[in-house]
Amino acid sequence: MHMTFGESLLVSLFSMFIVFVVLVSILVLIQLFSKLLALGSTQSGSCKPVESEKRVQPAAPAPAAFVPGPELSTGELRLKNVDEKTAAMIMAIVSDESSIPLSELRFKSIKLIEEES
Amino acid sequence: MFIDALKSIWLESGFSVLTWQHLVMIAVACVLIYLAIVKKFEPLLLLPIAFGVLLANLPLADLMKKEIGDIQGGLLYYLYLGVKKGIYPSLIFLGIGCMTDFGPLISRPSSLIMGAGAQFGIFMAFIIANLLGFTPQEAASISIIGGADGPTAIYTTARLALDLLGPIAIAAYSYMALIPIIQPPIMRALTTKEEREVKMEQLREVSKLEKICFPIIVTIFCVLLLPSVAPLIGMLMLGNLFKESGVVDRLSDTAQNALMNIVTIFLGVTVGATANAENFLQPQTLAIIALGLLAFMFSTVGGLLIGKLMYKLSGGKINPLIGSAGVSAVPMAARVSQVVGQKANPSNYLLMHAMGPNVAGVIGSAVAAGILMALFG
Repeated sequence: MHMTFGESLLVSLFSMFIVFVVLVSILVLIQLFSKLLALGSTQSGSCKPVESEKRVQPAAPAPAAFVPGPELSTGELRLKNVDEKTAAMIMAIVSDESSIPLSELRFKSIKLIEEES
Repeated sequence: MFIDALKSIWLESGFSVLTWQHLVMIAVACVLIYLAIVKKFEPLLLLPIAFGVLLANLPLADLMKKEIGDIQGGLLYYLYLGVKKGIYPSLIFLGIGCMTDFGPLISRPSSLIMGAGAQFGIFMAFIIANLLGFTPQEAASISIIGGADGPTAIYTTARLALDLLGPIAIAAYSYMALIPIIQPPIMRALTTKEEREVKMEQLREVSKLEKICFPIIVTIFCVLLLPSVAPLIGMLMLGNLFKESGVVDRLSDTAQNALMNIVTIFLGVTVGATANAENFLQPQTLAIIALGLLAFMFSTVGGLLIGKLMYKLSGGKINPLIGSAGVSAVPMAARVSQVVGQKANPSNYLLMHAMGPNVAGVIGSAVAAGILMALFG
């Protein structure tokens, strides 16, 4: 069975219309969902922007490397058996690997883990 | 005695039944192998496809021989069942889902409209293929080449026009490899220098929750609306959920590396093996190759025109070049937008902006395939 030009044109227009309808519907769903999330975070009393994935990902060294201690503000970094040059290098690498600007990262401490013999 | 033995060996060898058609196909296979190894045209797929073409055209090897009763089939015949049953393309989509970041699309959802516009070539090619005398099923399979999405093209063709699988798969992957050559002249012809120079605003950050919910929402919506698209969209979104959930890193790693590589080998070799001399050396193969090119070009035009429309509507904030990335072919089409944009304005970085329409194109071409399968399957 073959289609005439008119039939294939109709099928094409109809199919193209459906493609647009589906993708525009997804667009609307994404926007609705994003707005709902933003609304939810505002209503929960948090004025912070939606927590970004980048922040959720472990951007800093593994938790085992952290030294428990009081909250430190940016700039108060505790170094243990690490010189400043190495610490600067580690922070730059973490920033580069996680694609988070250094100004947005907060390091609490950097400590050298002794290898077990 | 000795001469008889030699004669017997000769008669039982493939050389005795070698025809000029086989020789042409062996030459085609060698050219494809050359393009894959030397020119590095999509080598991961083109090399197994090319070798499959070679294997299928060595007479008496019978690697694609069907199983009849107790008589065993050829090795590639059994592997080919994964193509015929639509298993490999769906598994490839699982791997693609694990590798795809939908962040740029969620960040700028209007990219979806460009992804939809870039399906224009599919339907233009469908009309022309019908005019050329192909059946609607064949026309639908040929036109899906314009989606620039190999697994979708193979999946649709396996469902609608199995006999055309060889030429369609080879055309689809060849054109995907040629995107850096096909698209730039069209992009320059349809945009002004001023449009190409537009620097776009940085995308907003997307929350992890949004990224996790996206595959779930898209799956529920698309599969309920178009059940025929479930294997492709379902696997794509499952893979993406593996990636974004962050709790199944092992599965994500396997799907995007080991599984993807294994399936790619099976898919490539068996698809190539469908291109035997009898099927491939037909006038319709030339028509398929020409229609595939037209479909690609029209899809690029469709994406660019929507890009230009969005440039106007946004007051010049959207660079229309990212529209051409809506033809799928992730991430090559997005890279082409970046390269052309940077030539117009060296400080322009369009790659992340183009990834939005690019991944929207994957969804768009799967949806277009689903519609065609629903209509003609």
